[in-house]
Amino acid sequence: MVERIEDLNLPNAVVGRLIKDALPEGANVSKEARAAIARAASVFVIFLTSSSTTLARKQNHKTITAANILDALKQLEFESFVEPLSTDLEAYRKAVKDKKDKAKSSSATAVANNSSANDEEMETEKTS
Amino acid sequence: MDTELPLSRIRTIMKSSLNTGQITNEVLFLMTKSTEMFIQKLTEEAYGRVKDDNTLKYKHLSQYVQKEKNLEFLLQIVPAKIKVKDFKNILEIGDGNSSSESEDERQIK
Repeated sequence: MVERIEDLNLPNAVVGRLIKDALPEGANVSKEARAAIARAASVFVIFLTSSSTTLARKQNHKTITAANILDALKQLEFESFVEPLSTDLEAYRKAVKDKKDKAKSSSATAVANNSSANDEEMETEKTS
Repeated sequence: MDTELPLSRIRTIMKSSLNTGQITNEVLFLMTKSTEMFIQKLTEEAYGRVKDDNTLKYKHLSQYVQKEKNLEFLLQIVPAKIKVKDFKNILEIGDGNSSSESEDERQIK
């Protein structure tokens, strides 16, 4: 729940850093311009969420999926975002999977040998 | 995979105004990355309008927003500014033409 309207603002320091990274060396940004970009970014989140939700509803889904967001970006004429974001998404999925695998293998080594058969069973269940 | 913007804040914004159902971690990650990219592109493109002193100012942003069709959703958020003097002129001209008056009024920040 949003209790204060400030909760809808993105943190100034982070937005400022992202802007700085996008600008060429030696370039500056006025305070007013920075505030406007931060405001625009918050509205972008609402706009993209709303469009993605509409797409999800059309498929009779209540929950937005990553594919809904990518489709919404295309629909809203931000096609150029789709490819780099798909790459990010793949990297994210891989990182999550690696983390899971790691957790699984470390818990597998923690338990005694006689229960290793169980783990194997779980593994085949997951991959199927 | 790390994000710069805080995920918790993006989640709050996503939930603020809409009847958004559950938000999965993956969706939250993708939304956050999209927003970071949006900030980056908007900055780069608006900076393309800077001519002198290497400083990105509000007017560059508002000019860019007016021009780009896919930024129409920002017209009320980053409106073009006009001087009070010009606004008064518009009001005087607009006296016999009240439909354009309200439109101009909304552009005032």
